[in-house]
Amino acid sequence: MVYTTRQIGAKNTLDFKVYIEEDGKPISSFHDIPLYADKENNIFNMVVEIPRWTNAKLEINKEQVLNPIVQDTKKGKLRFVRNCFPHHGYIHNYGALPQTWEDPNVAHPETKAVGDDDPIDVLEIGETIAYTGEVKQVKVLGVMALLDEGETDWKIIAIDVRDPLAPKMNDIEDVEKYFPGLLKATNEWFRIYKIPDGKPENQFAFSGEAKNKKYALDVIKETHESWKQLIEGKSVDDRGIALQSVTLKDVPTFSAATADSIPAASAKEDAPIDKSIDKWFFISGSA
Amino acid sequence: MFSRLFNFNASAQVRRTLLNHRCISGFTKIQQGAKYTPAFKQYLGMADGKTGSYFHDVPLDLSLSDSTVNMVVEIPRWSNAKFEISKETPLNPICQDTKKGKLRYVDNIFPFKGYMHNYGAIPQTWEDPTTEEFAETGLKGDNDPLDCCEIGSGVLKTGDIKKVKILGSLGLIDDGELDWKVIVIDTADPLAEKLGNLKDVEKHLPGLLKHTREWFRNYKIPQGKPKNEFAFDEKYLDRAKTMEIIQKCNASWNKLISNQLPSDFEDAPMTKRASDIIHIAESAKADAPIPEKVNTWHYV
Repeated sequence: MVYTTRQIGAKNTLDFKVYIEEDGKPISSFHDIPLYADKENNIFNMVVEIPRWTNAKLEINKEQVLNPIVQDTKKGKLRFVRNCFPHHGYIHNYGALPQTWEDPNVAHPETKAVGDDDPIDVLEIGETIAYTGEVKQVKVLGVMALLDEGETDWKIIAIDVRDPLAPKMNDIEDVEKYFPGLLKATNEWFRIYKIPDGKPENQFAFSGEAKNKKYALDVIKETHESWKQLIEGKSVDDRGIALQSVTLKDVPTFSAATADSIPAASAKEDAPIDKSIDKWFFISGSA
Repeated sequence: MFSRLFNFNASAQVRRTLLNHRCISGFTKIQQGAKYTPAFKQYLGMADGKTGSYFHDVPLDLSLSDSTVNMVVEIPRWSNAKFEISKETPLNPICQDTKKGKLRYVDNIFPFKGYMHNYGAIPQTWEDPTTEEFAETGLKGDNDPLDCCEIGSGVLKTGDIKKVKILGSLGLIDDGELDWKVIVIDTADPLAEKLGNLKDVEKHLPGLLKHTREWFRNYKIPQGKPKNEFAFDEKYLDRAKTMEIIQKCNASWNKLISNQLPSDFEDAPMTKRASDIIHIAESAKADAPIPEKVNTWHYV
């Protein structure tokens, strides 16, 4: 499958949107990209939201039709993650697995916390910097269970199948072996990243330990099942998520014509990012 | 454990005071060619319109009472291209260093992206390679201006000239030569007023000094080089000692610029200064792309 992107507006503005296209037609980044790229070999499709080393909080929008990637806002202002020393922006290529949903109506038996109402997040650790709207094929290696403001927010750890190290990476131990220090840095990063915004430190379930590949695959399966309930209209509460699909003929919200309602590409040059985003925050005890 | 957050905002009063000595007035930048190509050169434009030398025509402006000095920014924080004041090119423009004919980029050493400071040089200083300047180390200088690491919150730009506050220094031994790294902060930074010495740096920017040492220890490992070492038992030298080093390197520069070097020394940097003879015109081109490989993160 060849996926391309359709950009509307300028990056770092409220107008910015990226739709994912299949054969030149907009599709839903949430619902229309298959979760599995190769089910037998556990290769998944990942939708990249935030390239490594950048700060703009770009995410799949749940409310807009066909779920374009837009920059999150807070009180009407564009959201950027702050740099917490020694890190610069996000330390992974950050994104989500399509066709998954962390159901906010259900508490997870082990974390005891409800889902965060989003597709499951993925941290891609390969060497290349990805781009917003890129659809990557990834190998899943493990998972960490962040408790973000009281909700379960799984972080799947994965690597692009094209990465030179991918053939050697098969489970969570390989991450520490080939990327020494990365899991510790990941743990620290998610615990402290909201502190500069005046929020408390986040917590991880399982004492911060990363679970292995098998556990991660089970979590993905569960969130895929939750998404199926959602897209079939069987969820207790769909939280107003835009469920339009242009490829899934069997779901109640199927409508191929939806693609025609999406505006044509109108990419503009990136807007400058405010200088204040360059600041490095030093959080005592973290570095 | 992570309960304390250091986020400083200078009062408006402080900001106004800082503004008064923020600007090093009159200098301009003259760019030739495209960034990230061998043709790229950035020259210093003088207030009188002449083309000057970043090495020799930016005044040192060392103030012992304020502990301030001028800095020429070569490499912005979080970037990789190894820009430096050229010793070989007349008028010493900032160029991208090359190795075996290839443009040089510093590797990303996990958890860092590119350089972790705004990196640059102190004008009108020279680390003399002809004498063992710092007898206690038994090492000769590296034939460059003194390097400095600016630790303020802003990302500075190549060719910027900043008045910076001196905080301390680290005696790196890079490939067997002494190569001081002077730790400074832009006087315009909101934090500058609060930083007077290395203790203050550790208080307000915890972990920075430790990581700085590790960064310089490891940064050439991905190229197959050994770890770097440090003089003075790896300890940082304090502000007073650092100002002595700057004075010493300024004296060495005076010898260089007035031709008082041993006659058999052949590797001396170009000493041409601004004059009526050479005028460089702007001919900037759009930046060339940076090779994808530069984005690799190295785990050492």
